Amino acid sequence: MEAVKAWSLSLQWQQPLKLLFSPESVRAIRLQKIQELRSKGLEPYAYRWDRTHSANQLQETYRNLENGEEVNSEKDHVSIAGRIVARRAFGKLAFLTLRDDSGTIQLYCEKGRLVSDQFEQLKNLVDIGDILGASGSIKRTEKGELSVYVNSFAILTKSLLPLPDKFHGLTHVDKRYRQRYLDMISNPEVADVFRKRAKIVSELRKTVESFGFLEVETPVLQGAAGGAEARPFVTYHNSLGRDLYLRIATELHLKRMLVFEIVVEPKLLQPTFVLDYPVEISPLAKRHRRHAGLTERFELFICGRELGNAFSELTDPVDQRGRLEEQTRQHNKKREEAKSETDSAEEKKKHNHDDDDDKESYEVTLDDDFLTALEYGMPPASGMGIGIDRLVMLLTNAASIRDVIAFPVPRNQE
Amino acid sequence: MADSVDQATKSVSDLSVDSPSSETISKNARKKELKNKQKEEERRRKEEEKAKQAAATASSHAKKSATADDEDMDPTQYFENRLKYLASQKTEGQNPYPHKFFVSLSIPEYIETYGGLSNGEHQEDVSLSLAGRIMSKRSSSSKLFFYDLHGGGAKVQVMADASKSDMDEAEFSKFHSSVKRGDIVGVTGFPGKTKRGELSIFPKSFLVLSHCLHMMPRQKAASGSENANLKKTEAWVPGSTRNPETYILKDQETRYRQRYLDLMVNSEVRQIFKTRTKIISYIRRFLDNLDFLEVETPMMNMIAGGAAARPFVTHHNDLNMKLYMRIAPELYLKELVVGGLERVYEIGKQFRNEGIDLTHNPEFTTCEFYMAFADYNDLMDITEKLLSGMVNELTGGYKIKYHANGLDKDPIEIDFTPPFRRIDMIEELEKIANLNIPKDLASDEANKYLKDACVRYEIKCAPPETTARLLDKLVGHFLEETCVNPTFIINHPEIMSPLAKWHRSKPGLTERFELFINKHELANAYTELNDPVVQRQRFAEQLKDRASGDDEAMALDETFCTALEYGLPPTGGWGLGIDRLAMLFTDSQNIKEVLLFPAMKPQEEAPTKVAAA
Repeated sequence: MEAVKAWSLSLQWQQPLKLLFSPESVRAIRLQKIQELRSKGLEPYAYRWDRTHSANQLQETYRNLENGEEVNSEKDHVSIAGRIVARRAFGKLAFLTLRDDSGTIQLYCEKGRLVSDQFEQLKNLVDIGDILGASGSIKRTEKGELSVYVNSFAILTKSLLPLPDKFHGLTHVDKRYRQRYLDMISNPEVADVFRKRAKIVSELRKTVESFGFLEVETPVLQGAAGGAEARPFVTYHNSLGRDLYLRIATELHLKRMLVFEIVVEPKLLQPTFVLDYPVEISPLAKRHRRHAGLTERFELFICGRELGNAFSELTDPVDQRGRLEEQTRQHNKKREEAKSETDSAEEKKKHNHDDDDDKESYEVTLDDDFLTALEYGMPPASGMGIGIDRLVMLLTNAASIRDVIAFPVPRNQE
Repeated sequence: MADSVDQATKSVSDLSVDSPSSETISKNARKKELKNKQKEEERRRKEEEKAKQAAATASSHAKKSATADDEDMDPTQYFENRLKYLASQKTEGQNPYPHKFFVSLSIPEYIETYGGLSNGEHQEDVSLSLAGRIMSKRSSSSKLFFYDLHGGGAKVQVMADASKSDMDEAEFSKFHSSVKRGDIVGVTGFPGKTKRGELSIFPKSFLVLSHCLHMMPRQKAASGSENANLKKTEAWVPGSTRNPETYILKDQETRYRQRYLDLMVNSEVRQIFKTRTKIISYIRRFLDNLDFLEVETPMMNMIAGGAAARPFVTHHNDLNMKLYMRIAPELYLKELVVGGLERVYEIGKQFRNEGIDLTHNPEFTTCEFYMAFADYNDLMDITEKLLSGMVNELTGGYKIKYHANGLDKDPIEIDFTPPFRRIDMIEELEKIANLNIPKDLASDEANKYLKDACVRYEIKCAPPETTARLLDKLVGHFLEETCVNPTFIINHPEIMSPLAKWHRSKPGLTERFELFINKHELANAYTELNDPVVQRQRFAEQLKDRASGDDEAMALDETFCTALEYGLPPTGGWGLGIDRLAMLFTDSQNIKEVLLFPAMKPQEEAPTKVAAA
């Protein structure tokens, strides 16, 4: 209710009582408006609209237009489209704020200027939240607001639900993530995060391509759990009649065993390479050429977070087989232990048997195909992984990973 | 333990910790060389001629003598011998897997730089380092070995001559007898051409960087054809035909399960995947230029929406929640358009829990884009521009060749010159099949009419015989069959298209198109349905089909319907199957040809050794 009110302050010239209604009532009223539009032969869900400019392009093009000045030559006849996010009306004059992907611009609507009965339509049938197309000339108001001086407009999409309260609206975090589109409508800067994300990925791609790398796609669904480092998602393929595992991030959970992580990492604010991890926690990295027991590996830390992980790849198939066998053996040993523990404790905590108890519940098998490939010879090579989400967090000043993922997995199911 | 390796690496690597001693050695060696240059020249010329003659006249014989000691061996024995060799290296304190080899030039760059040398010319004052995989080895004496070094899609000859080597003769011949076909090596030496005009590198040092422990697949046919094959594959370009039957490694199972072997020995294969990458990067560039924003949406959802297909199910342990692998990103992308991102696209994997065949893999790659204020007419124009532009960039023209009827038949030509043919689905079906389908397609009458039509034309439709499924069969039989050159089939009925907007002038139909090429659906697009009330009705109708046993009918997504209630602008939405497009441009009849690691049926035994193909 609050929401409706705050967004619709300027709607007072229009049936003011209805503003206090619930979203359900708003929906019902707007459905009536849809009927009314259709009865007039107007389709409230238009098929297309031709724009000449984006809001930002107009702001740019007419940057130097003086206050109070209007331009009305052929080339100044513009067309624009976007969502109405605010409006004010005074008798025969109405000001609407239209927002598109690029920014906002004001629609200056004068009864005398609009074709036929469009001003009445604007008054009675247009709500905040609707998507409008408008065309007209360009005017900067006395107060300095660049505006499209509207000749005609069309409702392109009628919205049915009121937008959230601009000031108190979308503060509920889970709702922001669940209804990301509302988050973006209410907080335009949210979209910037995703624009930056696209830019970051694109720059990464450009950089590696300039080095001559070829981008490839490898399977997400795999016949065997990729390694013992993380618990995979399991699914089932009907026609093959077998379980498949979703690939896991290469980020090794094993490294958490290191006391170092706890002590040193939070202090690594500036970009820092931590070098040469022990063999035991680096099952795919090559042994160090000089330091026994270590590998040629680094992790990149920025602001106390790990952003990258890289190493000289282990290419010796004999060494690799030994390390994977050991890893598998340890995993399956823990699995056995966990299983017998659960069996004995099953009576007591039947209901509580869920996550921590069966962390090792999945089976890890030796990846023989990979080992065979190494036996055919892999050139000396190095490999690197970068966590895109963390990089985007860093570069967009985001506190939570959920801020840089458009649709994070909801925490709790409704 | 690694010290000795470092020494070896140092002599060839600019980047490794430096040691003045190795430089001194090479300086001395050079001095000595200069001294003996004249003598050397002559000797080499003789050697070369002799070797070439031997190689030319009796290359099969030479090969035989090389295979005699290893490649006729039992694969297991061969592998064990190689393991023993590695173990002995380690015992001697040698690391058989050096950490770094500095490569000064790629093999294609080397060919470009020195391909212009005249026959017999040597540039002994130049020193450079190449690395790659040895794909063939020939020897004419214990002092002279010839190798084909492959890398970056090209090959160059290595002519290892004991007199040029830093090693003494005994060392040299012992070392080179341990080098095997398939080994990855780094060589440092000078460029030159043999008398017969073969560009080669003449190494001073020769280092094995990684060992091939198994026998590499080789062509059964006699020598010479290997080169012929290489020449042919170098000429392969997207849009031209190819024939995997002629590959050195032919066995499909092996090619797909051990893709690295396929990439190693069948050089055309690398071009297939380069083409795939080019397709994707062309699409990305095209959309970026139109100010589209690339986004990522979830692969695991609580509802598998946006398409009609059987999903994969998985479970999130922490949240104790059932999740579905996505079958399409459509609904999320439209939610972003509601949020104000007016042009978005996503290139990524979709997952469908269905059978594996020539055109289906459980995971496949699509591109979907959504464009506010555009309709399906705009999208047809964009599709024509995108595809014809892509074909033009990849092939230099608008026509491609494709073995549509099998490798034993002549390839067909597919013409991407715009505009593409457009056929109205129901209108054309009625005309071609001589039908008069009842206008109300949701009626029982229409359903019965189409059932009868299928019976009359002996077209099988597996139950449930919903009107949508019957129509699909008829369209497949009568219309899709005619779509060889790119063709838009347009204006699908509402009952077949729950997410498409009703046609602005044709009741019962939608503003939708499917693009068919070579009788296969490549793209699907429509003016998006953005009326939430109508959308809910459509979902309800899908539910009816579900109830009648069509488990591929679409599920209701309440979150999505709510988003529509906040207002989705007029939007055109478009989806394209990347794998199928890659198949067309690479003359692939099997989707596995364009997937690096296609899904395969489980195997009884893991494949390890491949002897001959």
